[in-house]
Amino acid sequence: VSWVLAHGLGAVRDLPVPLWLFYYGAGLVLIVSFVALGALWKRPLLERHADGGRELPAGLRRVLLSRPLRIVLQTGSALLLLLVFLAALIGEDSVAANIAPTFVYVIFWVGLVVLVVLLGNVWPVLNPWRAVADFAAWLGGLGGVAWSAPARYPERLGRWPAAGGLFLFTALELCYPNSARPPTLALAIAIYSWLTWLGMAAFGREAWTQNGEAFSSYFSLLGRLSAFGARDDAEGRRTLVVRTPASTLARGGWKPGTVAFVTVMLGSVAFDGFSGTRFWQDRVFAVESPLALDSPGLANLAVTGLNLLGLLAGVAAVALIYLLAVEGARRAAGRSDSLADDFAGSLVPIAFAYALAHYFTLLVLQGQALWYLISDPFGRGWDLFGTASYRPVLDLLSPNTVWYVQVGALVVGHVLGLALAHDRAVALFRSPGKALRTQYAMLVLMVAYTVGGLWLLSTG
Amino acid sequence: VPTARLALVAVGLVAAVALFLLVRPGGDDEPAVQPATTAPAETETAETEAETGTAPAATTAEPAETETEPAQTAPDPDAPVNVRLTFIDGRVQGGIQRPSVRQGRLVRIVVRADVADHVHLHGYDVMRNVAPGAPAQLQFRADIPGIFEIELEDRGIHLADLEVRP
Repeated sequence: VSWVLAHGLGAVRDLPVPLWLFYYGAGLVLIVSFVALGALWKRPLLERHADGGRELPAGLRRVLLSRPLRIVLQTGSALLLLLVFLAALIGEDSVAANIAPTFVYVIFWVGLVVLVVLLGNVWPVLNPWRAVADFAAWLGGLGGVAWSAPARYPERLGRWPAAGGLFLFTALELCYPNSARPPTLALAIAIYSWLTWLGMAAFGREAWTQNGEAFSSYFSLLGRLSAFGARDDAEGRRTLVVRTPASTLARGGWKPGTVAFVTVMLGSVAFDGFSGTRFWQDRVFAVESPLALDSPGLANLAVTGLNLLGLLAGVAAVALIYLLAVEGARRAAGRSDSLADDFAGSLVPIAFAYALAHYFTLLVLQGQALWYLISDPFGRGWDLFGTASYRPVLDLLSPNTVWYVQVGALVVGHVLGLALAHDRAVALFRSPGKALRTQYAMLVLMVAYTVGGLWLLSTG
Repeated sequence: VPTARLALVAVGLVAAVALFLLVRPGGDDEPAVQPATTAPAETETAETEAETGTAPAATTAEPAETETEPAQTAPDPDAPVNVRLTFIDGRVQGGIQRPSVRQGRLVRIVVRADVADHVHLHGYDVMRNVAPGAPAQLQFRADIPGIFEIELEDRGIHLADLEVRP
């Protein structure tokens, strides 16, 4: 038996942010926004830094980009996927004792986000599905078989398949009551792996990874918040750089579907917060309790359906507010074409802030479970590394710490979002006056998201 | 002009810090103001529900039950706060209960059910059998703050949320 925390793993939540801190945070957001209007710059600053920055020292670059390191990481990651899948498939059917739920919902889904924001997007070398596909291609090459993708990826589809994939993953995590049960995860991993390899086979490894694979888009967008990044230099060589964090989010020209993807990121975490409120839990109770005893299957189905409606409403609300704001900006600027694709990057820091605010405790407390789970991944009573009896420290975080991290993350995300939207506006419009006018609508958008996020944190 | 802007940002920062110090309640050990004024009342609902049944350990603990509110007189930390839940005909009587207790208090949760199952308090990870005529009794020291789900484990039915306030 062990500690089981919130969300996909269900059951423990943070105390709501106290009202005084909610009002303080909301007030701060408004002050910051107005100070920002006065302090704003007239020429794009962030975007200019997107291609700037300094290369990492040559030795470090050589090691980090080396083929042996890549092979080691890809092999390790593919084996880890296999381990987690096997644990989910044949391990003990227990959310707490099996490594799969903690690995998928805490280490992968939350821990990797933090890693990517700190170190840059490491997912391309960790992506286990890509690793297996690369290995298959290498084997094929040895045998003289070259697979050429039978179809060209339709450009106009852009990130839409990834947005759909992310929606389905969050729907599984947040809507289905048994989402953390190992058999559910085994099925989910099998389906996702199969779809990913099918996509790679149909459109080519690179095309599917760039567009269709949900987690690649997820980590690639979040990785832009990092100071570290990879890019091709003038001669087309891969290189690693330190640059202004978030500067590559200040660019426009996002692929189709990017707005949808980012709104799923934001909307799903918003619904996660909302589903913990009394209001929502009483609704779930009303739907579940008449069926709970006689037909538990039907009760689960009803709860899943209700949650799905809530998740859809959350994503739709986030999207609607965004589209209204860019429409306001478009009118203020007197443009005829939509600006929706231009400001997508400014939502990414807010999405990260939402995720950090909601999953920080989960990562810190449930993340410790990995230490004993690696000794007994299948929940069979093994003790491979002698750590099986480790007990996590559960009073590591005081409520005050949690609240300050939550409110701090949202306020910082707000400031970054504002800065990115403004930078984009002065890059789009020659006249600073026009750019400033478009910013009133964007300011309302950012305030709505941030205060909405704070409200979700303060509602018990 | 850049100096003026930097000054503006600096003034903003100072104002933010000043505002924070102004609105922040007292010291760190002083409890933050909770929006949940309803929580103690709901503990009472949980109690009244239980009064129809025969409470096994109710007599000694009765006075402690109302003391989940910020008490003027320091409550005896060893007097358990009682929470009683009844699960009949597939539902928790009175809907999802939300008892709220102070960190450090001793808590005793008694669950009566007309089915055989396990009662699981997540986080604290206390699990007890329950069966018709054999209520589950979970007793523990509430030393971790947070909101913890109490569940009929096998059926996955959400019974209550225990709130532990600092």
